[in-house]
Amino acid sequence: MTVSAPVHRPSLFGPLLALLAMMVLVLVAAVFLGVADIPPGDVAAVLTGHGSDEARSIILDIRLPRIVTGILAGIHFAVAGLLLQTITRNPLADPSIMGISQGATLAVTVFLVFTVYISEPGSNTLAALPLAWLPAIGTLGGMAAGGLIYVLAFRLDLGPLRITLCGIAIGAVLHAAAIGLIAGWGSARIEILLEWLSGSLYARSWTHALFLVPFTIAGLAALPALRRSIDLLRFDPTVARSFGLSYRKQFSIVLLLSCALAASAVGAVGPIIFVGLVVPHLARFLVGRHFALVLPLTIALGAFIVTLGDLLGRLLGQAEEIPIGVITALFGVPVLIALLRKIP
Amino acid sequence: MPLSCSQLSVFYGRRKALNSFNLDLKPGEIRALIGPNGSGKSTALQAIAGLITSHEGQVEINGKPAREMSRRTLAKQLAFLPQQPSAPDEMTVEQLVRQGRYPHVGLFRSYSSHDERAIEWALESTGLANLADRSLHELSGGERQRAWISAALAQEAQILLLDEPTSFLDIGFQVEVLNLVHRLSRERGVTIIIAIHDINQAISISDRISLLEKGHLLFDGEPDELAGSGLIEKVFRVRGNFVRIAPGSRPHFDIEFIRSQITVSPAGK
Repeated sequence: MTVSAPVHRPSLFGPLLALLAMMVLVLVAAVFLGVADIPPGDVAAVLTGHGSDEARSIILDIRLPRIVTGILAGIHFAVAGLLLQTITRNPLADPSIMGISQGATLAVTVFLVFTVYISEPGSNTLAALPLAWLPAIGTLGGMAAGGLIYVLAFRLDLGPLRITLCGIAIGAVLHAAAIGLIAGWGSARIEILLEWLSGSLYARSWTHALFLVPFTIAGLAALPALRRSIDLLRFDPTVARSFGLSYRKQFSIVLLLSCALAASAVGAVGPIIFVGLVVPHLARFLVGRHFALVLPLTIALGAFIVTLGDLLGRLLGQAEEIPIGVITALFGVPVLIALLRKIP
Repeated sequence: MPLSCSQLSVFYGRRKALNSFNLDLKPGEIRALIGPNGSGKSTALQAIAGLITSHEGQVEINGKPAREMSRRTLAKQLAFLPQQPSAPDEMTVEQLVRQGRYPHVGLFRSYSSHDERAIEWALESTGLANLADRSLHELSGGERQRAWISAALAQEAQILLLDEPTSFLDIGFQVEVLNLVHRLSRERGVTIIIAIHDINQAISISDRISLLEKGHLLFDGEPDELAGSGLIEKVFRVRGNFVRIAPGSRPHFDIEFIRSQITVSPAGK
């Protein structure tokens, strides 16, 4: 009989509590700090239902919706990344690597070109851009790209590595098509697309947050029902099926869910890269073998990192704020490299 | 009859990997499936487990066609351990074994005390109770193989299919696995098919043996008959004799090696 030495397992309570404190701190900072200098007293007044009209408008109509949209989008990207990494059994899977973001980008570009350029040739006014439609159009585009991955995965019976490569190829083609369209387009309106492409929370309103909420609720509500299939989808199909999983059905449900989460977030805020890739790894690294904690921590970290990234972007850039997508890319790479060294 | 298959055929493209395979198992029977590499052993097991599509014939489990069962219903009655399965790296032994309860708990039901007992039993039967909290990648090959067997046991299925469970194990672990197989069959009435390369292990553990060559079933009978048939030498292209080591013991295949008479002088003189 083999006797194993008791392995020392450090308690997670302390680090998790510290993390929670940090999250609250960043959230408070995000509300209180910004380009417009509002004294903390005034912010507090607004939050309790008082304060000047100007302060109210900045806090309630600009900062809060922006923060909420960021939190929701962060949750979407992080959970979508975790789900995609699970079902493709590929640690590199993430919405922007699997072509979902590019599908959304192309759809948005095509939509703008058609509605604006075709209907009002020569018009250069930004006001004419049907911005309210962008989230829905982006979502449809992302879902379509996800559908393409699904068809390829099952029609051609692709393994995890080849699904990922297929996603990369599809993403590259869609991205090239979008860039081609932009390049051949009127210069004055490029800015709005460029800003969207870099992933930005600038000028996100309650409309964006409300657009995301149904997806967030549906997604998070579905997760408890999917936790066991998510565990089993981490095995190869032969093993998962011999454990009794209806592999194809569960794979499809989880893929659909991750596409809906990722595509709606890309639609609302543009592709915020690296959140979907890095956050699940970070969560796994922090809680290690406590499987049950990976998902909740992924959700929390997704919200936290986007809020933090956006706050940094607002403060560092001052009047010319740095888009969140740029911040996550800049900070995401070193974090990813550091994690790769630790992951077995 | 717990398991029977009739005229089972599987094509890989145009190649017939399994050709009209027949098999009938009695409750608690241990069936060894032998044959050279590429003879269709794994194909037969996977077709029986419904993991690959059989193009002709059918599999019946307790008299019902397996084709009509959902994966979960099937997994309650039949557990299959593939050759060299892989698991997510950071998964622990206990977490792997727990997956074996999926057909019973499904997506929603929480683990009952019966489920927990089944997991405990599966861990103890494979001698892994002490290693339950270890990550699979910290284990030796033998321990990992036992963890997989343990997961299949946790399914509490009355039919167990094992695809070369002893490959890559040292002789001590091989015997341990075979003893466990025998115990499951005799004490729990589990019906077992085991694909195995070692002819002598197949003969000593099984009640009956099926011999495959190029997808065809060449032999289906008791170990003693196989010893008298001369098929082993022909199919495996070896020379040897069946001997009885003790009166009443099962036949033992003694292989003749061809020893070269030429000796090379040591290099550099």
